[in-house]
Amino acid sequence: MPIPALSAEKLGKKYGSFTAVSGLDLRIEEGEIFSLVGPNGSGKSTTLKMVSTILFPTSGRIEVFGADTVSEPEKVRKMISYLPEEAGAYKTLTGHEYLDFMASVFLRDRKQAAAAVKYGSELSGLKDKLKKKIGTYSKGMTRKLLLSRAVMIRPKLAILDEPTSGLDIINGYEVRKTIKQLAKEGITFLISSHNMLEIEFLSDRIAIIYKGQILACDTPVNLKKRFSTENLEDVFIKLAQ
Amino acid sequence: MNIFHILVKKEVKELLTRQLLVSIAAMLFIFHVIGKVVGTQNKATQARSGDVVVLDLDGSALSKNMVARLSATGYKVKTASFAGIEAALAAPEYKDDSFFLLFPAGLQKELDAGRKGGMGFYSKFTNFSASGTAGTVSKIRKTITRMNDELSVYVLGRRTPSLDADFARDPLAAREFVMVGGKLEQVSLAQALASIQSQIVFFPVAMFFIVIMAAQMVMTSVASEKENKTLETLLSSPVDRWMLVVSKLSASALIAGGLSGAYMLGMRSFMSGITGHTAAGAALPAQEALAKLGLLIAPSGYLLIGLSVLFCILCALSIAFILGVLSDSVKSIQVTIMPLMMLLMLSYILPLFIDINAAPLYVRLLLHAIPFTHAFTAPQNVLLQNNTQVIWGIVYQAAVFAVFVTLAGRLFSGELLLTLKYPFKKA
Repeated sequence: MPIPALSAEKLGKKYGSFTAVSGLDLRIEEGEIFSLVGPNGSGKSTTLKMVSTILFPTSGRIEVFGADTVSEPEKVRKMISYLPEEAGAYKTLTGHEYLDFMASVFLRDRKQAAAAVKYGSELSGLKDKLKKKIGTYSKGMTRKLLLSRAVMIRPKLAILDEPTSGLDIINGYEVRKTIKQLAKEGITFLISSHNMLEIEFLSDRIAIIYKGQILACDTPVNLKKRFSTENLEDVFIKLAQ
Repeated sequence: MNIFHILVKKEVKELLTRQLLVSIAAMLFIFHVIGKVVGTQNKATQARSGDVVVLDLDGSALSKNMVARLSATGYKVKTASFAGIEAALAAPEYKDDSFFLLFPAGLQKELDAGRKGGMGFYSKFTNFSASGTAGTVSKIRKTITRMNDELSVYVLGRRTPSLDADFARDPLAAREFVMVGGKLEQVSLAQALASIQSQIVFFPVAMFFIVIMAAQMVMTSVASEKENKTLETLLSSPVDRWMLVVSKLSASALIAGGLSGAYMLGMRSFMSGITGHTAAGAALPAQEALAKLGLLIAPSGYLLIGLSVLFCILCALSIAFILGVLSDSVKSIQVTIMPLMMLLMLSYILPLFIDINAAPLYVRLLLHAIPFTHAFTAPQNVLLQNNTQVIWGIVYQAAVFAVFVTLAGRLFSGELLLTLKYPFKKA
């Protein structure tokens, strides 16, 4: 049996007396686009942060390509790229300087870093605007830059929290297409989103999360079939009720 | 370029904003302009410092002789002709004069009769500037002493004509000695103090400035990463967390060092404008004696002071780093920096007014527990040849730095960085 890109067993996270995630089990295969869907405060972002090694589980464990996120975080960080929700960029740097800095942070090989910057620059579609300071960018431009940063290093696992938030229809569509293309090239995606249409279009499998627990996990088609609904929104409403 | 340099370069770019550069340039310009203006004003005040308006109502040989002596000893005497001092003070031709001298009628007769002679010394405020009022005070004291001397010579001459009046008035050939750290040299206390002041006068101010700047830099660096949500990306990267901490501390120290250099330049320009380069040379004739006393800081002394300052900055940076972690926005730094500010103020202000070594035990313990005190008092201790105390201070500062930087590293390695908020509430 191949090593999964991500496996989580009985994952739990508490902030004081508040339980954000409880008994969550996940298994994501390499090259898969896997989405976590749920309302605000359901535990999506906390789960993504635990996978990204910046929060520690209170119970259970997570492995990324066989490496434990708590005992081997350095190993995990070499394989992942995390795009937080509402992430910002360094406003005093130009777009190009930002990509250059991030490539140097994630990739120690200069040639690889230079290639990543070239790829990221193309992917962002910002062209000459990359020479301008990020402080002058619109929200959409910043998000495109951040998305390009997240995937330009071609991580084994890309963790994207609300990837198309703040993007217009055309840019959102372009981003979804890019994610699909990169998944075909072997990158695994763990995505969180409120946007059911986006999730349906993108995902190979979906986990519906509510109050820190997974209510259902399957392909979009199977979920709709199982709950006899037209769309994922209705699936979620039925599960939440 | 290795990852450390890349991180430091990014931090410097983030911290060294155009607004900061403009404010530093403005500060240098303002210091220079103020120095020039105050210097010009002081020169004008000094030029007028010998002016005295004399109203001689006595008209005796004695009063005329005293007026002549005033002129001969550098005073610019303006003789007024009025019936009373009030008229002289109010006269339009003396509206810019601030010092008036009244020889009352019957002065010589009173002295000849063996009674004290009364003279009037009048000051007229034309402004309340520090240099103007301080100059007037010293001028009056000097003039009173001079007038008293002149009258003593006159009285002694009248009473005992055979006596050398100048000798009788001043029979003491005073030789001043100063002892520092067991070494004794013939030098005046005023010269010794002038030398000490010229070497350490800017030190505490510059220290205070550099520490505050460095602390604000590192807090801004950490808090802005939290506020702009760039921290989470950085924390999920393969860069060692300690490297992130050290790069932030290094960049902040680098910029704070540059800023304090600029500040010192500004202060130097300001003081040069005021003093016209005279302060540093005040004790030049006694240089040899001062050097023997150890009151001229040797290179080894500067090294000790430098080390103490370095560790003081490092301590402040590591504490500020932790406070930065507690700040969830750049704006909140104004509140979270307060504990550091209070410690800094205590260690800066108290040693200016009290002798730490003579203070009660609890005050000494409190001040020595604050790592910044050791840097503020390092120049004094070096001048007093208490080098062992300075070295122990550096050792203590290094230990405090090690504790706080370890704590900062641990905070950066854990999740508290994202969840802890001032005043110590978990998200």
